[in-house]
Amino acid sequence: MIARWILLALLPVVAVIALSQPRRLSAIIGMGLFSLLLAAVYLLMHAPDVAITEATIGAALVTAIYVLAIRRTGRLIVVADEAPGLIAREGKQIVGLEYDILVGFAREVGLDLSIQFVPLRRVRWLIDHHEADMGAGGIIPLAVEASNLMSTPQHLASGVYRFEAKSLPRETARPAGIAKIAETAPDYEGYFSDLLTHDRNGTLPTVATSLDLARVLALGRTGAALHGLDRMDGSYGYAFLIAQKRVELQRDYAGYLTRLRDSGQLETLIGRHFS
Amino acid sequence: MKRMHVRTLLAVGIVAAFAGLVALSYVQTAPDPADSQYYLARPLSETGASNRVAGIYLNYRLIDTLLEVLVFSVAVLGVRYYLRKSDNIDLPDLSESEVVQTAVSFLSPLALLLCMFFAIFGHISPGGGFAAGVIAASALLYVAIAYGMTATEARWDPRRLAFAEKAILLSLLIFILVPAFVGKSPLTDLLPKGTPGDLLSSGSILIYNMLIAAKVFIGAWLVIAAFALHRGEL
Repeated sequence: MIARWILLALLPVVAVIALSQPRRLSAIIGMGLFSLLLAAVYLLMHAPDVAITEATIGAALVTAIYVLAIRRTGRLIVVADEAPGLIAREGKQIVGLEYDILVGFAREVGLDLSIQFVPLRRVRWLIDHHEADMGAGGIIPLAVEASNLMSTPQHLASGVYRFEAKSLPRETARPAGIAKIAETAPDYEGYFSDLLTHDRNGTLPTVATSLDLARVLALGRTGAALHGLDRMDGSYGYAFLIAQKRVELQRDYAGYLTRLRDSGQLETLIGRHFS
Repeated sequence: MKRMHVRTLLAVGIVAAFAGLVALSYVQTAPDPADSQYYLARPLSETGASNRVAGIYLNYRLIDTLLEVLVFSVAVLGVRYYLRKSDNIDLPDLSESEVVQTAVSFLSPLALLLCMFFAIFGHISPGGGFAAGVIAASALLYVAIAYGMTATEARWDPRRLAFAEKAILLSLLIFILVPAFVGKSPLTDLLPKGTPGDLLSSGSILIYNMLIAAKVFIGAWLVIAAFALHRGEL
């Protein structure tokens, strides 16, 4: 009798806990727990048939179907420009360190990873306008991001390279508005693959103001003439961008990265892609 | 922090509202415990099922149960009809880690055993066809999650099972309705009533339980398969 009342009192508590879970998977597990408690209540009320049905449908079947539902419909949309070694297309596949990190993170939070390649300058805009969840592709965050953006903890150290302003021809000097964007790294017009074309034409400094280490190395491998490129002082690192409002995503990702680093898996991944 | 607060408040509100509604309906139309005496007072030999619940819904209330099976069949039909077309790209097979696969391969045979127990002993002990079917379908769903849909579908082909589902529904309909139409009571005594508590007792309840278990199992699996087909993969 007492057990029945305790379980009955627990039901609304578990219901509230399940409803207020920020993570979908936790909410589903909360619902399953609710069903299991309810089944126990039925059992104590001498209704074993109902208890069996509640346990099988509520705790087993419905939980499994919800798990399936978040497996594919819950999507993690990541926008990125290609950065060789970090995230880049290789035939039909996407490879790179950031890609591996994102795959692991998406799997952990039960979201379906969807990567869309966009021109670099679209990345911040898309996240700012909630068209995408995360920005990737060799992003070195600003010391102070724009008001709606937030950067995740760094996952890899990097360096920033900048074309000297004086090396630019006068007529291609940027309008005043661009000056602020030029603080970011990397920064260039269009896609990374466009840079290779510009490099062949010798017009690289007209479209790019700054580059990051991974891209400089990739350009160097293609035999690009990178004269006029200066390494900036200071320590920089790659991170992802998330909208300021996505507190839960930010927290989940930070937790995931910490665990990845503590377990040594991050080192293994970095070694695999940059050895 | 503030957002978390709002979420919790909202959750408390929703739970309180539902609990209030249930309490209100209970106060207004509280079931009378004496009602159950009507069935409990009847001799056990009347249905032959020592599980009183099975005796009620597969003997006294057989037509209600038939309609319940029909409702379920219509639901399966609807899902299969509306999820028939798919414009999805071929998504890669998602299969889970070895831990999940090992756990599933250990648990799913146990679940199938439990399914058979509930179906065969549903008239003696708690259980019954509905729960048995759902257990088997859940077990298969967990297998599909662990090993991928393609591998599971190859063994449990939904197209062939769809035929079996309809055949079972048809046989249930014939079993129950034909005697009713020719002016006799529905077929509840296909097998001898026997001694309550024996495996072969309770007339047709044993057959109904097994048919319903197969029907619910196939129906639930068809819904899951339609779901998977529509999305490209589970």
